[in-house]
Amino acid sequence: MDWRLWSLKKSIWVFHVNTGACNNCDIEIVNLLTPKFDVERFGMKLVGSPRHADALLVTGGGTRQAAIRLREVYRQTAKPCVVFCMGACACGMGIFEKGYHMAGPIDSIVRQVDPHAIIAYVPGCPPKPEAMIAGVVKALGVLQPKEKYATERIGQPVVADPR
Amino acid sequence: MQPNELDNLLSPIRDKLTGIERKSDTRVFLPCEAEHVSEICRFLFEDLGLRFVISTGIDAQDCFEVLHHFSDDESGCFVTVKAFIRDREAPVLDSITPVIPGAEWIECEMHDLLGIEFRNHPHMRRLILSDDWPDGVYPLRKEIRT
Amino acid sequence: MIDAMQNVFWILVFPGFVFTLAVGLLASWLVRKVGALVQYRVGPPVYQPAVDVMKLMGKEILIPQDAHRATFVLAPLVGFSGVLLLSTVLWLATAGIDYVGDVVVAMYLMVFPSLALILGSSASGSPHAAIGAGREMKLVLSYELPLVLAILVVIIKTAGRIAPGEQLTLAAIAQHAPVLSISGALAFLVALLCVQAKLGYVPFDIAESEAELAGGVMIEYSGALLGVWKLMQAMMLVALPLFLVVVFLGGIDASGLSLLWGIGKFVLVLVLVILIKNTNPRVRIDQAMRFFWFYCGAVLAAAVILASIGSYCDIAWL
Repeated sequence: MDWRLWSLKKSIWVFHVNTGACNNCDIEIVNLLTPKFDVERFGMKLVGSPRHADALLVTGGGTRQAAIRLREVYRQTAKPCVVFCMGACACGMGIFEKGYHMAGPIDSIVRQVDPHAIIAYVPGCPPKPEAMIAGVVKALGVLQPKEKYATERIGQPVVADPR
Repeated sequence: MQPNELDNLLSPIRDKLTGIERKSDTRVFLPCEAEHVSEICRFLFEDLGLRFVISTGIDAQDCFEVLHHFSDDESGCFVTVKAFIRDREAPVLDSITPVIPGAEWIECEMHDLLGIEFRNHPHMRRLILSDDWPDGVYPLRKEIRT
Repeated sequence: MIDAMQNVFWILVFPGFVFTLAVGLLASWLVRKVGALVQYRVGPPVYQPAVDVMKLMGKEILIPQDAHRATFVLAPLVGFSGVLLLSTVLWLATAGIDYVGDVVVAMYLMVFPSLALILGSSASGSPHAAIGAGREMKLVLSYELPLVLAILVVIIKTAGRIAPGEQLTLAAIAQHAPVLSISGALAFLVALLCVQAKLGYVPFDIAESEAELAGGVMIEYSGALLGVWKLMQAMMLVALPLFLVVVFLGGIDASGLSLLWGIGKFVLVLVLVILIKNTNPRVRIDQAMRFFWFYCGAVLAAAVILASIGSYCDIAWL
């Protein structure tokens, strides 16, 4: 197998992004990283910067304010990377679907930057940590080497201030 | 708080209120017109020493209502000043922020979402709507449909 | 020609790059595994640090627009080469191949990783990295002086004990175990804490504090450059405890049973570092400076005085 893909599957570093969640999913993500579930044995580690990350754990429906920032964070994440939509709000806006402040579910926001983004969905309100682990493992299991999907780097300079 | 005790305490501003509603022993509403809000709140905050809790903005069909909530911590009594703004086209109210600095953000929020102008507000700015939200569209007004 | 090729072999394969890297990745795994066991959980598998570096080599390198490109790219390589040379010098010293002044060379090379970290983060063009660089600079200022004083204690003690005409080199120092004396033990304790700070471990991981600074000094690094930083950290985990073993604990004697004893000493220092790491919270930068300058400085002043008296009056255990 491709050594890049194999090492990505064995050592996946996560970065947590909150785009307007009620914090329920965020608390479950923090629970996930405690010693009780011990995700370090799968190679998962929480990193402080999106440039170090392989997986973006996105919670919350995409509010208009957060959509700008989420696009910027996605652009700054080193590819190849996987976007995990955690929770019902991230998968499809949830109960905030008709809200005036929403810009769309996470996958439509991310696809505006990269039409070929790899996105995985973990529904639940909030999803249990075991469900999150199952989602991550399933997503990693179906990743294909580079010839089978395209993650083209968008050739734009990375700007610090999104405004 | 007993009725006559409350009446005694509120007697300096009794002429500015349009009534005193007692829903229960510990819940008092003080309806008034928009012009007197600032003096009433200054009286309650400084002279009576009540604690400012939060404000509420309501779009009633024919007017706007702005409620300022105060709490008397010793007796457990909750006092609400209810200001009616009769002009629906250009609602204006005196800001209580010069007296109570803690009201700054809640008045910015009311301005963002309901379009109520606050006179003498020290730092009015867009607070909770996103930066690319069009000016002049106030989402919580009844006529706005999403 | 043969000499040059032998040097290249020493630096690149054994005991330089490949050997130190393998031991470093193993030591790095040991740190994470012991940390996990202390927290009642199962840690990562043995190959985890190696896979981490492999994965980083396969990701793309992003360079910020405001960064100073040349410094940004060269800084990890400078730090890496510093640690590479340091580990080569130390291993060769334990094998007996040394020269006058290699103590000074080792101390000089030890500064390279921290310096490269400061340069790299200053060149990142990011306010988080700038704060991290400032904190790392203050930390380096704090612990360099106690470290030099601790080595001074060792030199004072060793200078009285070597035969006249013999040179004061690392191999000569490695014959004696200065830790078996009061001043030597005090100096060893302080040097252990300085090494903890240099490795960037809690309680002194101020520069790379995760939750506070979003990655601190390395916030803008990604891909292969971050991989080089991780390699540098893994190799520092070999070089610095080895330095402590050579200077304080009597070196590694590469023959038979003494080899096991030497490896045991190295593992002992590593375990001490891990235990301090897992039982302490992170300190603020001003607390760290106060700790290193006042408390460690006072302890080391006492140790220098005791060592001088012991060397002058020929008392071995002072």
